[in-house]
This record gives sequence, C-alpha cells and structure tokens, in this order.
Amino acid sequence: MGDRLTQLQDAVDELAQQFVACIHYVHRHHNLETLGPNDEIRVLPKDAEQEVDSHPAEAFKAAQVELAQDLITKEQQIEYLISILPGLDNSERDQERNIKELEDELKLAEAQHQQAIQEKKDIMSNLDEVIRSIRRP
Amino acid sequence: MADPNEAQEIQDMDQITSTWPRPPPFYKDFTADNLARLADLKRERAETSNPPSNPSTTDPTTNNKNQDDDALLSQRLTGLPPNLRNLQPPLPPDEGAWRIFGDPYRLVQPLPKLEEGGEIRPVVASGGLLVDGERDDKHFDRATVLKRIAKSLLLNFLELVGILGQNAMDAAEKVKDIRDLFYNFHHLINEYRPHQARESLIATMQAQLDRLRAETTAIRDGKEKVERMLEGLGSLKIDQEDAAAAAAVATTAATDKGATGRGMGELEDEMWGSLVDSAV
Repeated sequence: MGDRLTQLQDAVDELAQQFVACIHYVHRHHNLETLGPNDEIRVLPKDAEQEVDSHPAEAFKAAQVELAQDLITKEQQIEYLISILPGLDNSERDQERNIKELEDELKLAEAQHQQAIQEKKDIMSNLDEVIRSIRRP
Repeated sequence: MADPNEAQEIQDMDQITSTWPRPPPFYKDFTADNLARLADLKRERAETSNPPSNPSTTDPTTNNKNQDDDALLSQRLTGLPPNLRNLQPPLPPDEGAWRIFGDPYRLVQPLPKLEEGGEIRPVVASGGLLVDGERDDKHFDRATVLKRIAKSLLLNFLELVGILGQNAMDAAEKVKDIRDLFYNFHHLINEYRPHQARESLIATMQAQLDRLRAETTAIRDGKEKVERMLEGLGSLKIDQEDAAAAAAVATTAATDKGATGRGMGELEDEMWGSLVDSAV
C-alpha cells in the first residue's frame, strides 16, 4: 500500500490491464461463425495450436458480463480514490500557511514539554528528599 | 607478520560476503571531540574572517569556485585538518548533474511536460495544468477532471470494442485516444505529488504536535499526583506526630511505670506502619 496517489496510479494501470485482458479474452475464446453459405469452419487437428479456443456460449456470456462488471468496479474504485485525495480543498498557499502555523505551535509545545519535564524532575527530587528524610532516628 | 595479513584477508572476505555494505570508513571521525573541535573552529573562523578576507590555504580549484558559497554559508570551512575534513558534507555538484554507474542524475528533476513527449495530446489546457500555476488557479478542480478522464476511459474502451467488432483496421485511432487519456491521467496525478507531499508533511506535523501535547499533559498529571501525595504525606505526618504526642502522654499516664523508651518504640512502629499504609 503506497500513498493515495500511488494507489490511484496503480488502479489506473490495472484498468489498462483489464482493458487488454478483456480484449484478449474475447479474442481468444469467441465462437466461430460462418458468414456465408459457402463458408465452412476448418477444424484444426487436435494437437496443433488452436487459433481460437471457443468457450460454450453460456460460459462466454457469463465471462463477458463478469469482465464488464469488473471494469465498472475498477472505475468506481478510481473515482473513490480520486475523491479521497489528500488536501483537495487546500491551495498551495493554504498549505504553506498551515505548515508555518504548525511549526510555531510545535515550537511552543516543545517548550512546554521541556518545562513540564523540568517540573517533573523538581518534584521527583522533592519526593526523593521526603523519602530519604523518613527514616528511623 | 602472517597473522595481521590473515586478519586482513578475513576482513576482506567479510566485506565481500556481508549482506549489507559496511559503513564508510570515515564514520570513525565523528567523535564527540572532533565535533566539538569543528564547532570551535567554526566559531573562530566566523569571528576572525567576518570581513570576507579569506586567507585560508587550500587548493585553488575548490577555493575559487566556492568562495562565494563560503561567504554565504560561513558554516563551511576550508583548510581543515584531515581528521575533521569528513565532518562537513561535500558541496552539491556545481552543474547540478552527476553520474553514478554511468547513469546521469540531476539535482532538479522537473516533471516533463505532456507535449514534450511529441504525439500526446493534452486533455486539459496546459495553463491549468502547471503546478506553479496552481497558486493562482486555486479553483482548478483536479478531482473533477480526473473523474471525467476515468469515465472517458470507459467510454472509449466501449467504443474500441465496438470498432473492433465492426472493422478491426480502424481501431488504431481509438487505441491512440485511450493511450492519450492514460498519459493525461498519470500526468495529472504526478503533478499532484508535490501537493500530496506537503499534505503529508502537515499531517505528520499535526500528529507530532498531538503526541507532544498528550505527553506534556501526562507528565503534568503525574507531577500533580505526586504533589498531592506529598501534601497528603505532610499533613498525615503532622497528624501522626500529634497523635504520637497524645498517645505518649496517655501511655505514660496510664502505665505509670515511666517505661517511656519502650513506649516510644512501639509508637514509632505504629507510626511507621500507618505511614507505609497511607503511602501505598
């Protein structure tokens, strides 16, 4: 899983592959028809490489439907990925301002953090003292 | 003499067979002493050569070229002793280009324009596509354009299948259309990458800020807890002392034997026990 842009690009590439796969499937597994009364379907010997590996009509139809559905699904995935691209509403200037603000806030928070750590150290030493002072005379 | 040679050989073998390359040999120069010395030298140099008379004695080739840079980044020192030389990173290549294993690389890698590829037709007018133009063209709606291209891709594929069914010879034009659409899509996405990078930076900074704040409040909470406990302990101690005094009076009065020493001892144990209880 990459970032969203990469996911989107991958999805688009997959769509392209699906295009090719669809055409390849139809090209490879369609049935053979005669176009005129004088045509006849030549039957190649079994062991020779078949030009077309015809699937039964129902299977071919079902596969076509499935491929089409997959195409639509992929396209919808792409649209979804587009709609969740990060920061579509922010312009570059917004982003710059945002970054500057965050930088300042970070500095402030860091200072507070250090201060808190110092306070914690003080109280720890305080506690240490108290614990050490509790002893039997 | 045989032993060191053998050791050397073994080390060489290690270097050849180890999965990861060893760290470069100069990592040993990064000692605390050396770093401190470099900082000292930098401070010295900044003080002495603030007027840009740079009398440092180094080989003239680098010095002449980098003198301007040196004036700009006064941090960069020339003429360092050899053991400090590796502590400051080398300058980026002057021409902005270099070769590694025969392949050229450049410092700036501008996104190639769609038109430069030659036959790719841009779908969107290139003015709206420019990343730099984004500043002015805030309302360029990338998402809508991308969605339109995605839909166009499907439609064009449908047309392509239709054409293939009618006359496969005419399909080349349609294939070209689809190819152009894909190129355009990828180009638009790649243009968006700097935007996403900034967006990721914002997200990371926000996360860091939240984490830091949470940590600070957690520390403060802990501190307050300890403070309260200490206060509680203080008041408890006083109570105990009062009670002890009262008890001591009571015991001495009750027993009438004057075994104060023993009585105090017991009291102390009691006190200690209750103190420990309250502390837990």
